[in-house]
Amino acid sequence: MIKEFTKGLIKENPIFIIVLGLCPALAVSTQVVNALGMGAGVIFVLLGSNIFVSLLKNFIPPRVRIPSYIVIIASFVTVVDLLMKAYTPTLSDNLGVFVQLIVVNCIILGRAEAYASKNTLGRSVLDALGMGVGFTLGLLLIALAREVLGAGTITLFPMGNFNGTIRIPGLVESPARVLALATGALLVVGYFKALFNWMETRKKGGA
Amino acid sequence: MTYVGIIITFVFIENFILTKFLGLCPFIGVSRNVESAVGMGFAVIFVMSLASLITWAIYNLILIPLNITFLQTITFILVIASLVQFVEMTIQKISPPLYRALGIYLPLITTNCAILGIALIAVQYEYDAMGSFIAGFSAGVGFFLALLLMSTIRERLDLEWVPKPFRGVSIAFISGGLMALAFMAFDKALLRNLIG
Amino acid sequence: MKDIIKIGGKLAIICATAAIALGLVNAITEPVIEEVKKRRLEEALARVVKEGQVEEIRTVERDQIEGYYPVTDSEAEIIGYVVKLIGLGYGGDMHLLANYAPDGTLKDVVLMENKETPGLGKKAENPQYMEMFIKAGGGREIPTRKDMLSREDADSVTGATITFMGIANALKAGSDFIMELERE
Repeated sequence: MIKEFTKGLIKENPIFIIVLGLCPALAVSTQVVNALGMGAGVIFVLLGSNIFVSLLKNFIPPRVRIPSYIVIIASFVTVVDLLMKAYTPTLSDNLGVFVQLIVVNCIILGRAEAYASKNTLGRSVLDALGMGVGFTLGLLLIALAREVLGAGTITLFPMGNFNGTIRIPGLVESPARVLALATGALLVVGYFKALFNWMETRKKGGA
Repeated sequence: MTYVGIIITFVFIENFILTKFLGLCPFIGVSRNVESAVGMGFAVIFVMSLASLITWAIYNLILIPLNITFLQTITFILVIASLVQFVEMTIQKISPPLYRALGIYLPLITTNCAILGIALIAVQYEYDAMGSFIAGFSAGVGFFLALLLMSTIRERLDLEWVPKPFRGVSIAFISGGLMALAFMAFDKALLRNLIG
Repeated sequence: MKDIIKIGGKLAIICATAAIALGLVNAITEPVIEEVKKRRLEEALARVVKEGQVEEIRTVERDQIEGYYPVTDSEAEIIGYVVKLIGLGYGGDMHLLANYAPDGTLKDVVLMENKETPGLGKKAENPQYMEMFIKAGGGREIPTRKDMLSREDADSVTGATITFMGIANALKAGSDFIMELERE
């Protein structure tokens, strides 16, 4: 049972291994706070759609299952969008149109079709959580690399007298600015992917 | 903004793949050879132009008058999904050769972020009907351009020696990144100087 | 045929349920979203207007200028104008709120919504960034090119020249607009 959760974290990590759901992931990976916000949004939608698809799997006619899944997913995306606009407006501004684009995130439709439509509610919930958290971790990794190296800061939520931004001495004065720009996202993913490939071959070689 | 401005914006300055990362899946997936890149590119241009025009009409003629703009995401994605189906069936009936060329790419388009992306962005920028159509067309051309460039790079890369961990998707991303760097030469200030 | 009606009916039920549920969520969030918008504008206004009473907005049809709020003192005398400006930045439109004296001198300005690059253009959100523009306009020209800045200021905008030019041009347009307005 616990495997349903952990497989999404490392073994089938959505971003690096299956290279899915990259579209919404990359554009908002400029700041750590955006990655966390996007991750939360994706977890919410994934959880909601997996729950409903699993519950309704006997109600939904097989021939129109994809449109039905899309309606369910789009509804949860709209809920996330409205809630973010109302309660976390700054985050909503930063993520912009990419919140609505969660709907075409291949991971979510993929999990509904491949997993939730065939499994029990409990398993689907764990699957959604695992995949969602895995997605968030992957995105967080990209955002950390881009923000730390590209801007010399780590932006989190402002709390109390902490203004929300950690400045890294030495890097903040002259960061590798190219990583903060659009090109940096593609470079970072490329290098991470190579790193994962390398680790994979080493593991195979060792075993 | 003038129509020329919209074209330059979406083909170069805000190239969907290279600056907004919309449509990355096909960018990496279908860029293995030039032939499939061309097929995919034309399919995307066609669907994007239609989709942005139709979603413009739905947003401005139905959603706004009824004050239900919060249903935007759900209606847009359904419209795009049915549009792709419809286009597929029509092409199959009218022109079998064209269907053979584009057919296999059409189903892939439904979940292509770029299509929903242009529909949402055209609404956000408050273009008129013509502007939306041109924005959709230009974004499609920008997508086609990036995909075509990428596929020629990758055909070339197949002949070169690449360190083992970087082979495949990894080097494709890095090449894409370098291409994005080149596209940074096009910016809004340049556009303003060109067309005022 | 019966099958199609059944399938279509089920799909319609799903769509209708989704639409109703979203309608409910929207009914809850809509007033909150309106409230957020209002509060943000008020906060930004409070940041740029240190004295006087902000009047109702007057909209303007003009490039880079959305509208302006006259600022009056206790005798209803106009002591300044807050102008809503749109500058063209690297990531698209940048919304600015700038307070000018009646002679076109910039008193204070904040950068509101923008999509500039973190670490580069986004630095313009810091109040210190705007210091190079304050007290310019009217008598002293607003710096719109890097060579019009002091060495230190020029260094600080390097890497985000487009953001700088976007803000500077918008501020200049605002200043010119206020001077025109006063002449009339």
